[in-house]
Amino acid sequence: MGWALSLLIELVTMNTQPEEPQPSRFHSVISSAADRLAGSIFILPTVLALLFLSIFPLLASLYVSLAKFDIAPGGYKFTFVGLNNYRKLFTGSEGTHFLGKFASNTPLTWIVFGVVVIALAFFLARYLLNAKVSISGLIGRLLLAIGIGLLTWMLVHTLWNDGRLGTASITLVYVFVGIFFQYILGLGLALLTVQNLPGRRFFRVIFLLPMMITPVGVAYMFRMLTDTSKGPFTPIWQGLGLIDFSWVNNAWGARTAILIGDIWQWTPFMFIVLVAALESQPVEPIEAATVDGANSWQIFQHITWPAILPVSMTLILIRLIEAFKIVDLPNVMTNGGPGTATQSLTYHAYINWRALNIGSSAAVAYMLLFLVTFFAMIFVNLIRQRTVETL
Amino acid sequence: MNSKNMLVKLLSVMIVFSVLITACGQPVATQAPATEAPAITEAPAATEAPAATEAPAGKIYDGVTIDILTFVGPQVAEPLQRRGPDFTELTGATVNIITVPNSELYQKVLTDAVSGTNAYDGYLFAPAWITDFAPAGLVEDLTPYVEADTALEWDDVAPFFRDFNSYAGKVYSIPLDGDMHMVYYRIDSLEEAGLEPPKTWDDYLAVAKALNGKDLNGDGEGDYGSCISKAPAQQSYWWIWSIAAPYIQSQGTSQGPFFNTTDMTPLVNNDAFKRALEVYKETGLYGPPDETNQGVGDSRGLFLAGRCALTMDWGDIGPLAIDPANSKVIDKTGAISNPGSTEVLDWETGKLVACDATTCPYAVDGVNHAPFASFGGWAGAVNAAVDQKQKDATYAFFSYMAQPAQSNADVVVGSTGYNPFRISQFENLQPWIDAGFSQAAAEQYLNGIKESFDSPNMAADLRIPKSHEYIQVELDRILSEYIAGDLTTDEAAQQLYDSWETITEEAGRDAQLEFYKGTLGQ
Amino acid sequence: MKRWFQSKTINTPSPIGALLSYLALGIWAFLIIFPLYWLVITSFKISSQVAEGPFYIPFVDFKPSLDAWKYILVGDLSNDTLRNFSNTIIVAPLSALIALALGATAAYALVRFDYRPRVGAILTFIGCVILSIVTIAMGVSWQIALTVSAAAFFILLQTIGRRFKRALGNNDIAFWMISQRMLPPVAVVIPIYILFQQLHLLDTYAALIITYVTSNLPIVIWLMRDYVSTIPIELEECASIDGASRYRIFWSIVLPLAIPGLVATFLFVLVFTWNEYLLALFLSSAKVQTLPLTIAAQNATRGPQWWNMSVLILIMIVPVIVIAIVLERYITRGLLIGAVKG
Repeated sequence: MGWALSLLIELVTMNTQPEEPQPSRFHSVISSAADRLAGSIFILPTVLALLFLSIFPLLASLYVSLAKFDIAPGGYKFTFVGLNNYRKLFTGSEGTHFLGKFASNTPLTWIVFGVVVIALAFFLARYLLNAKVSISGLIGRLLLAIGIGLLTWMLVHTLWNDGRLGTASITLVYVFVGIFFQYILGLGLALLTVQNLPGRRFFRVIFLLPMMITPVGVAYMFRMLTDTSKGPFTPIWQGLGLIDFSWVNNAWGARTAILIGDIWQWTPFMFIVLVAALESQPVEPIEAATVDGANSWQIFQHITWPAILPVSMTLILIRLIEAFKIVDLPNVMTNGGPGTATQSLTYHAYINWRALNIGSSAAVAYMLLFLVTFFAMIFVNLIRQRTVETL
Repeated sequence: MNSKNMLVKLLSVMIVFSVLITACGQPVATQAPATEAPAITEAPAATEAPAATEAPAGKIYDGVTIDILTFVGPQVAEPLQRRGPDFTELTGATVNIITVPNSELYQKVLTDAVSGTNAYDGYLFAPAWITDFAPAGLVEDLTPYVEADTALEWDDVAPFFRDFNSYAGKVYSIPLDGDMHMVYYRIDSLEEAGLEPPKTWDDYLAVAKALNGKDLNGDGEGDYGSCISKAPAQQSYWWIWSIAAPYIQSQGTSQGPFFNTTDMTPLVNNDAFKRALEVYKETGLYGPPDETNQGVGDSRGLFLAGRCALTMDWGDIGPLAIDPANSKVIDKTGAISNPGSTEVLDWETGKLVACDATTCPYAVDGVNHAPFASFGGWAGAVNAAVDQKQKDATYAFFSYMAQPAQSNADVVVGSTGYNPFRISQFENLQPWIDAGFSQAAAEQYLNGIKESFDSPNMAADLRIPKSHEYIQVELDRILSEYIAGDLTTDEAAQQLYDSWETITEEAGRDAQLEFYKGTLGQ
Repeated sequence: MKRWFQSKTINTPSPIGALLSYLALGIWAFLIIFPLYWLVITSFKISSQVAEGPFYIPFVDFKPSLDAWKYILVGDLSNDTLRNFSNTIIVAPLSALIALALGATAAYALVRFDYRPRVGAILTFIGCVILSIVTIAMGVSWQIALTVSAAAFFILLQTIGRRFKRALGNNDIAFWMISQRMLPPVAVVIPIYILFQQLHLLDTYAALIITYVTSNLPIVIWLMRDYVSTIPIELEECASIDGASRYRIFWSIVLPLAIPGLVATFLFVLVFTWNEYLLALFLSSAKVQTLPLTIAAQNATRGPQWWNMSVLILIMIVPVIVIAIVLERYITRGLLIGAVKG
């Protein structure tokens, strides 16, 4: 069995060719067979795990999204239906659920959409006028422009007037508003905590706590807290005359409640990483600047901020990817209500799956995957640009 | 590397692969996690039951462990957990109750069965789902068991429940619980205001409006006229039919309120259902502000805390209301059969017409009642794919739970979630009085239920394939959007009609029509 | 007076600054502690004390009772609770450790070795996976389908694989691994369910652990890659000159230096696996339900059982908080992300 495994490794390594470390790495004086294989052995388990348990299910799921699930005598069957599930999401019965209810065009929608289109046009033009244009670069930017354009069209028609947000838009709201506040709060708290204040370790530990609670638990906790008749803030609601108001009945009220829960839970993540980044900054530039008479705002703007920018971008990217998958808070706090106002895409896929509409569930999940990939790519390119500039 | 070398290597790898894969495919002796000590597989032990391992040798189901799936309690699951050890003592079988949230139950059962996993031996679930499971051969035909089982006293089970748990003439599940919607009201509050218990839904709204904001429990704060929960994925889709049935069905139970029996079109895009939608929405005006995020547990709790003048619920409130630990409305709770309507649907025109001798042959005082046997009661079914011994033990357990000795004790206690379903439970008042009902309260409560079941115009719940999709998916979503104000009444009715038609088309209109008519006894 | 606005050293704020800082920090600390406090006192309440409105201070406002604690820990729910709790305790740290082991070695490899996977090989692989999926969907037994696809892969590798000479680099591999995190679990859950069901691993620890390891590998690789790249290469070079093998170098030199990073990553992954709900819901039926499922399940039809839920949530948080407090000093030292550009 052992020799078969090493055969396998040989076959694979034939094609992955881990080269001997370059001079910029280092020379391995003794290079035994085992040492040469080290490169493969180190990485192979991870690659295999991801191949079988990530890629394979992903592709299988693609097939499922193109099929329909039915109970059949003796078990179940999948019937191939082509793009039917996707069609339903865009133009069919799930259109309003997924994309939202589109309001008619008003001057405001035209203005906003127009502004975005002009900005995108500038963006493309600037690229084209640049000397170094490549086909892949152009295609990438075109796709980006089209994507942003379509998303703007959707948002503009569902956010106001009598439009209603679909699960795609709701997810975008959760992600971007949530991350914005999480970052700002995390950064603020981190800056305060790295100061030489007695007792800051206590604060650090406390601030870490919300992240440790299971999201289902956080959801129930916030449901308790926001209960206007039994929750701890009832005297405040009464004082404000809001005793008969329920945030649950109002689409944006419900979404705000969920955003508050999400921000409460994930700010610690931003906080702790930023603390690490701030603390690992070298002290000399700051000392030099202070000696030169800079005040703390200038130090922040010119020294601290550029230093933590790479970390911040990576951090936001990580959190971005996670945030798109939000499901526990909408599920527990509001059951996706009122109506469908707080349903995220994962929740949408989840309820379809629960109703055994498995093909449709996979289709929604794939749309989520496209959305995440779209924004992650934008962000990664943003990071690449930034770090190239700072070099 | 030359090609011969290559081929050898390739072949050897293929062989290795196949060996690996087939080795993994062998039914691994279900590797129960090594740390699982025997004690954990038992149901939580009551103080007197010995551990299963101590059961004296020779019991009929010694060494058998049965896994039963139901939804999280304490209602419905708690009696199973409590009586598990007793059953173990009688038969030697260990009973393991597994619970999942209610909204997960359908897919958990189905996934387990169709994927061939068969982790569960039995399910305590909605009998309406039998129509999905039985044709696919996933649940065991229990008719031979029932016929051989005298302790069960099958004939004592009310005829409606015997039917509801059967399909194509065969019994597929054992009822442990009987379900009927009723309206409960505050005797004292209505009397004080000089109001009669509502006979029609318009009356209901009037009473709710009159009492809304009044202080009903003496704590100085205003209370609510009506508490009917409206959260999505909860019970909305049952309440609406209690309201709609009397508007739609008037010619008897075999008419059915859901579909037109000639062409299987849904009876929802008409004035009757639209009126029902409006009534349902209007009850929200007289209820708690966060009613749209409440389930029946919340509204029930509010009524028991004395904060509602009216509510609609299954039979649970009756026994719960007399419990001094939890109820502030002891001796103040009245129960009536569901309100009806003085107008009914003309199936041809889709309009509402007044009630008279032809349109409402079963009217009482000019009011058409159609009590809605919502849900049909929790029932136990047996997985057809497990071993015979497992099936026997599982059936025995359900039978044990349904037998009069156990059942009579459970239905009189509100927290069990079991409501009466045996004829003897309606006729013999003594267990109820022993449990704490006053004579008057017991009579009124049981009469309310019995009248509903005896009503010739009672409406049975939907029991055709894909009923889960019609009701718990589509209707639930459209209803919650309607309540949230995202849809107008007309839009909601139209969307519901369209989506139900889509499901009917996909399932096969003729087949569905056959099924539906079959369940109505046509 | 002016002294109040002056800071003594570089990092110490002036007295006014300190005051304002404490104020802000205190407000946020209150925002965190109050919900947790509410949770604690709710766990000591009974149903009527919750329904009748907010009571804030035990013994003053209301009489605390141990009913919920008894119900969960020694009463009717205790078997379920203890079983699910022990499931969580077994599954979460184990998955975190395995993910850490695999991911840290992969991260190290990605920083120190140079990989050149060929585009051709990758495309061939994807093609063969699709082939196997389609054949399984058409009804062929999966053992045959997989073997045939594997054979096809190896054969085609030599022909098509060789054609596309272009190779990807380490960064692309890293990007691929990290991008697996973008996969919504909902997308892959059905194939994974069927996969485990075919292998008869459903409702076992193995299923949960394997799934958790795979879904958290990207995070481990991300964090550890950034951390390992801050370890100076000279140490390894010296060791190599002295004759140490790669394994030795990794084990004796790199790992000890990477401990802060390992600890911080372990804590993150532990938190993710400890609190995970959706996959556990899909993959467990009877024996390996984890504690988040029990919490979600307290939302019974009687209405949310707030008191029981609070007890369960507290039971869940306490071990993780203890670990976090103990390991806190490592966390900030171990989170050096963003060091690797692109």
